[in-house]
Amino acid sequence: MARVATRSQRATAADAWSLAGRLVTSWAFLLPTLIFFLGWQLYPVIRVLWLSFTDYHYLRTDAPVHWVWFQNYADAFRDPLVWRGLLRAALFTALFLPGMIFIPMVVAVLVDRVRNPKLATIYRVILLIPSMIPGPLIFVLWKWLYSYNIGPINYLLVDVLGLFTLRNAPRWLGDPTLVFPSLAVMEWWWGLGYHTMFFLAGLATIPRELYDAARVDGANEWRIFWHITFPRLQPILLVLVVLRFGTAMAVIDEYLIMGGFNRALPTYTWTVYMWDLGFQLGDWNQSYAAAVGWIGALAMLIVVAGLFWLFRSRD
Amino acid sequence: MATHVKPREDAPRLERSTPAAPRARRPVPWSAIVRHAVLILFSLAIILPLVWVLILSVKSLPDAYTNRIWPQHFDFSHYGYALQHIPTLPRNILNSVIVTTATVVITTIAAVLAGYALVHLSTPGRAVVLGLLVASMFFPTRVTALIAIWEIQKNLDLLNTTWGLIFPYATLSLALSVFIMRGIFETIPRELADAARIDGANAWTMLWRVMLPLVRNGIVVVIIVNFVTAWGEYLLATTLTNDQEVRTLPVVLASASGGMGAWAWPRIAAVYVMAITPGLVAFAIAQRWYMRGLQEGALKT
Repeated sequence: MARVATRSQRATAADAWSLAGRLVTSWAFLLPTLIFFLGWQLYPVIRVLWLSFTDYHYLRTDAPVHWVWFQNYADAFRDPLVWRGLLRAALFTALFLPGMIFIPMVVAVLVDRVRNPKLATIYRVILLIPSMIPGPLIFVLWKWLYSYNIGPINYLLVDVLGLFTLRNAPRWLGDPTLVFPSLAVMEWWWGLGYHTMFFLAGLATIPRELYDAARVDGANEWRIFWHITFPRLQPILLVLVVLRFGTAMAVIDEYLIMGGFNRALPTYTWTVYMWDLGFQLGDWNQSYAAAVGWIGALAMLIVVAGLFWLFRSRD
Repeated sequence: MATHVKPREDAPRLERSTPAAPRARRPVPWSAIVRHAVLILFSLAIILPLVWVLILSVKSLPDAYTNRIWPQHFDFSHYGYALQHIPTLPRNILNSVIVTTATVVITTIAAVLAGYALVHLSTPGRAVVLGLLVASMFFPTRVTALIAIWEIQKNLDLLNTTWGLIFPYATLSLALSVFIMRGIFETIPRELADAARIDGANAWTMLWRVMLPLVRNGIVVVIIVNFVTAWGEYLLATTLTNDQEVRTLPVVLASASGGMGAWAWPRIAAVYVMAITPGLVAFAIAQRWYMRGLQEGALKT
């Protein structure tokens, strides 16, 4: 009894501590995150928004900066490069998304059926190898794989299989119609293992008895997948669609590494245009670049919000 | 959308543990053959490009020019040659190491502290923090913020410095890292925190003595995620730095396009292999904890 009393006394002391010190202590724990997050994420995004309402050109050092309201946005709506840039990003997204979601789902279902624990681990580890290589290094590797000179893909097509000659061999990254599919394949290669892990985590929650019961009832594998597995993977699928939609619309490293600033290539999207405007073209019209950056972000947010709404109404 | 992971019991192990009536060997079903064939194909598709670049890095120069995939003569000197004859290369490697180490340390500490505060300290105002972090993951922050980040770095006199990259780098995977740690901390029952508090532990000792050993798999995941992000970062490095000596390895590799001498393909390939090896070795070592960390809650989306 005495022990219980001291416990509750201590508990009230702890309550007092938590009431008084909770604010200070807990925000102290959040401080490192907040400093970096506010300083290098939130503030810059807002600062870019502010810039987009001015006529700030970085290299016009002597000219005063004016507040121009929506002038940059009005200009952007008349700028064919902005529209083309958004359309190109959307096109790449449409190519990129299905393979980024469905191939890992199928692979996950296959890996999940592997009963031998050692083999299952080996498959998982191999699939995860690309996710241990940073994105830009993946792009460098695939730039070489697709290369006209040293690429093994064209070596196989030309020298080994003889399907093409050096004259008409496909220019995977130089041909405007081929570059997006080529990049999409590269992205699938990169994302396969990582996304498979998400689906495997979902599959692990499905009890095996469900499958056994279905099999006893005579359901074939396709029906089992469609009626038991797929509905349970849907939440994961929707989250991945939203996340990867965002990734694909705002791709920039791939385009800079593979396509550079060649406007004839579809890789010259709104992100590359923004970079070009802000750090390269003319007198660095950073206010206009800021507007382009925010237009791209808003276009993306609208679709993301639409996706959320679409998926929410279905649940 | 939380998907809790409950690893189910392994069916074959259960069967094996029943000693009665060993099952007759049935022929391997077709579906299993097809399944493994498909998985082996995918595995090969993943491994072969890496094998190709590895072979390229040990090809003799004439073999490299003929493009033959399996060389007639091997030449293992390219690694040493590249390190000696690409003048900035040792510097670039060092830059990458410095920036990556600092980023991983900062982000991991920040994420552990924040994840802990968000779950176990019932921080007032945590909904706002969480909301902002979530929003930043659905916003193309990396692209849209770039112009202002460049401006910040210019005002802080950090443009064209290696260590200045650490600040924006630390935020690249910060939101994700906080989320991973939050997911892991949520697997620790609140009663444990309450019990420790009643026993007089303050917030700091509770984290350090009680919680940290329980979240170490999550920390491995956070370290790996941030290592991969920082080690290969390209966009900020190419925007915020100009001189070859202050740049990091990925920027150097991305601009390499073959050539003579130190820039011959096998030598660049050797640099490439040096660039991807640390990550793969770290993964090989930490693979077990990484997988466990993913299962414990890092994949909760």
